[in-house]
Amino acid sequence: MLAVFCRREARHMKSRSTLTNRACAGYAREAVLASSLILLVLMFALTAFVTRQYHKRVHELGDQWFAKGDAELQGGGADAAIADYRNGLAFSPDNSVFQFHLAQALAASGHTGEAEGYLRSLLSASPGNGEINLTLARVAVRRSAMADALRYYHAAIYGVWEDDPIAQRWRVRRELCEYLLGRGAASQAEAEIIALANNTPKDQVAQIDTAANLLLRAQVWSRAEDEYRLALAGDRRDQDALAGAGAAAFQLGRYSEAIGFFTRLPQRGRSSGDISEMLATSRAVESGSPFLRGLSPADKAGRLRRALADSEARLSDCVQKSAGVAVPGQEPAGSDPQALLTEIRKAQGALKRASLARSLTLMDADMNLVFEAESAAARRCGPPSGAADRALVLIGREAGGDRGGASP
Amino acid sequence: MTHAAPQGSPAAVPAAAEPRSIFARSRTLYREWMHRLVAPHGDQFFLVLAVLIGIFSGLAVVCFRVAIEWTHLLLLGSSLTPSPLRVLLVPSLFGIGIALLVIHAFPRARGSGVNQTKTAVYISNGYVPFETVIGKFITCALAIGSGQSLGPEDPSLQMGAGIASVMGRRLRLSQEKLRLIAPVGAAAGLAAAFNAPVSAVLFVIEEVIGTWSAGALGAIVLAAVSSVVTMRWFLGSESLFRVPPSELSHPAELLAYAVLGVVGGVFALLFLKWIAAARPRLQRLPPRAQYLMPAAAGLLVGAIGIWLPQVMGAGYPIIDQALHGEYVWRVLLILAVLKILATGFSFLSGTPGGMFAPTLFIGAMLGGAVGGVEHHFFPGLTSTVGTFALVGMGTFFAGFLRTPITSVFMVVEVSGNYSMIVPVMISTLIAYLISRQFQKVPLFDMLTRQDGVILPSIEERREHVSLVVEDAMRADAAIIFDPDEPAAAAAQRAGAAPESPLLLRPRLGEWRLLDREALQRLAAMDEPSAPRMVSEATSKGPLPLIFPDEPLDEVLRWAGDWPVLPVVSRADLGRLEGVLSLADVLHAFRKAAAE
Repeated sequence: MLAVFCRREARHMKSRSTLTNRACAGYAREAVLASSLILLVLMFALTAFVTRQYHKRVHELGDQWFAKGDAELQGGGADAAIADYRNGLAFSPDNSVFQFHLAQALAASGHTGEAEGYLRSLLSASPGNGEINLTLARVAVRRSAMADALRYYHAAIYGVWEDDPIAQRWRVRRELCEYLLGRGAASQAEAEIIALANNTPKDQVAQIDTAANLLLRAQVWSRAEDEYRLALAGDRRDQDALAGAGAAAFQLGRYSEAIGFFTRLPQRGRSSGDISEMLATSRAVESGSPFLRGLSPADKAGRLRRALADSEARLSDCVQKSAGVAVPGQEPAGSDPQALLTEIRKAQGALKRASLARSLTLMDADMNLVFEAESAAARRCGPPSGAADRALVLIGREAGGDRGGASP
Repeated sequence: MTHAAPQGSPAAVPAAAEPRSIFARSRTLYREWMHRLVAPHGDQFFLVLAVLIGIFSGLAVVCFRVAIEWTHLLLLGSSLTPSPLRVLLVPSLFGIGIALLVIHAFPRARGSGVNQTKTAVYISNGYVPFETVIGKFITCALAIGSGQSLGPEDPSLQMGAGIASVMGRRLRLSQEKLRLIAPVGAAAGLAAAFNAPVSAVLFVIEEVIGTWSAGALGAIVLAAVSSVVTMRWFLGSESLFRVPPSELSHPAELLAYAVLGVVGGVFALLFLKWIAAARPRLQRLPPRAQYLMPAAAGLLVGAIGIWLPQVMGAGYPIIDQALHGEYVWRVLLILAVLKILATGFSFLSGTPGGMFAPTLFIGAMLGGAVGGVEHHFFPGLTSTVGTFALVGMGTFFAGFLRTPITSVFMVVEVSGNYSMIVPVMISTLIAYLISRQFQKVPLFDMLTRQDGVILPSIEERREHVSLVVEDAMRADAAIIFDPDEPAAAAAQRAGAAPESPLLLRPRLGEWRLLDREALQRLAAMDEPSAPRMVSEATSKGPLPLIFPDEPLDEVLRWAGDWPVLPVVSRADLGRLEGVLSLADVLHAFRKAAAE
């Protein structure tokens, strides 16, 4: 080859004698370089073929392990899933989906530190990813890091979601609300729940119910009732909304509205624990409160007498049952049961003697006495169990006698 | 078409007659370009060759890595935790096959690729036989793929050197270039194996060449870059490890990394001492034992692997897991200790393979373990266990392989994370100092010396303090004269100090030697009517100027040509700092040698 090159060049230059060894070396280099380039192309092709086959196999194996891990995770085997995901990641180390699933499995099996490592790594690659932020928030919840949890929940709410971002953000905020309520952070929860309610589509009754239920749990009664009414506007027979609206109305002291909502429930729904209690209490309030508008003076006086009689009966019953149990000095000043009973009896006597007009002027003071008696009974014998007594507490509270100690 | 005959050199392509066509003109231009390119001593050609070497090395390393992975898949399966029977049998059975191959087919495949490359550079004029490349490829793929605790970087380095050597020989490079070309290929091979061109260049300079040679640096960088580009073309451009983001939030945390430096240094030292003590004993075993040693090592590694399969092979996925804090500190510590044992067994048995990946593995596990313990006692530490694992890699690497600069940059490069460079530097430096303090000879030098070869120690060379002119010169020893000074007065001054050299300063930056006898003669001829000036007594031409910071061995080249040389200030060439004679230079060398 070299000789051919040299001879050709010599002929070309018409002077074989001037062709030095160095020139020949130069042409030899050309030849070696040319053959190197050919070899390079061949090696490139070979390497391309080998690596393509290798990558194909590696992807197959990675996918197989990933699918196995998914199946394990869905079957509740988080530990087995972790091993499978790790195997999968060994073949596809940069696969963010694999990493994310591994992080989820790690979090599910309590390896929060490791899970967080992967998730932070993923988050650095896509800081606005809603799903990663949500998983990090859940990990933070697991390790009781409330500040981190809030930060990641908010990042998830305002983050990027591929599928149905509005619904995803709503779900994340709901989860955040549940978390805050669970942690007893009512004031923080209230703001989030109101934001959730504001972001709830008006045609999604189930979501409105959920938001209203959270409002109810956060004791934002008025807004809860509004939301339930909104849900009922969409579906008049929505049982959750009826029950919730009734409960909200009950808490707001609008007992007739509460009765209205509760009675629209089917019998089975109405008879469930809390609802039947609230319904009975509401009815007792409606039938026993002397403060209701539209009552005749005689009715008011009659209700006042009944209230005094009921509270006297509950307190004396309680005093008898708890005789020897109560510790002297435990009662608040002016709340001695015996003294209260004496006062109630005096009030009953005074009411019998008084004219109708006079009876009505005593109504506030007498109802205050009723409330104090119920409160004293509650302190001694626990919350009232009967609807009438619960109603008396509520009526007394409405009259401005809430000094603590009793709850309906 | 006619050409003038070439005159001596192929680069000197004759000035062509006016070409008659575009084709002819293009052909002439091509010839000129090609002849200039392939000129035997041309730097351009060497750089082009470096790129070619880089691409070939990159392709070889890609195939090598794929071969290792295929072998692993075929022999041990796709799970990170293979069945115990496989784990026990595969490395031991394949150990026998590897021993047969190494003893009968590829005897040069045994040993450290770094040292074989150094041997090529310093002993065999850059000669690395191509069989070594083939042998390393096959035996290392089998060894690492079957689970021996060794890494692919060192063989890749040697494959690169081998490819470069073959190309250099085929292209009939000069001996000087041939010696230079093996490190160029080594850098290419290592860069592709690590996906880290900067670290590869630094390693070759720090460990193989030992100097920042301008002639070699360009070629080494080009080869490293082209090999990495080639590798990334086929295997992707991701960093070797995916490191969770981390940063140093408080400077006080550097203390935690200093502790890691101490622990890493001590472990590296223990590993080095073990290898230093065990290797000569195993080398003294009868030749028949060489057949069984890789199998025995495989059996031991497999036995460890039944319990903790993470220690088998190069272990990159496990390092990745440690970086993500997937192991508690106890497991990390156990993995570090067992990996030291497994790597020691594999390496001491003579199984071909490298120590780079195991070193990184041990460092990562050790770093994670130290981080875990520190977190236990100081829960306020913001650095994660993964961050400690990352820093630990560089720490152990520096302590074990004794390449501190490479260690720092390697951690940064393989992780793609620059935020932890300060902790890495601190930890690495401490580990390096501990290792150097208690193990004077570095690993690579120790291995060659055990094999009966004394290669230049790059670490010793790096730390050798050169004598400079300032160490040998005599200050205030000369008498300085101005050119317009009368000869009589000058002779009187010269006579007051008969041993001092006499220097004339004709103008700024020029110094001449005065001949004492000539000066006296001149003074004798001096007459008041025609005073003789001192400048007439100068001998020879101007003296070469030397400066106080110049290396003494460089000055030695011309110190013998002059009785004395002026040492002048770099800032003021008219200010004499001292004088230097050959006797002063030799005295300084003798004094330094005695010390």
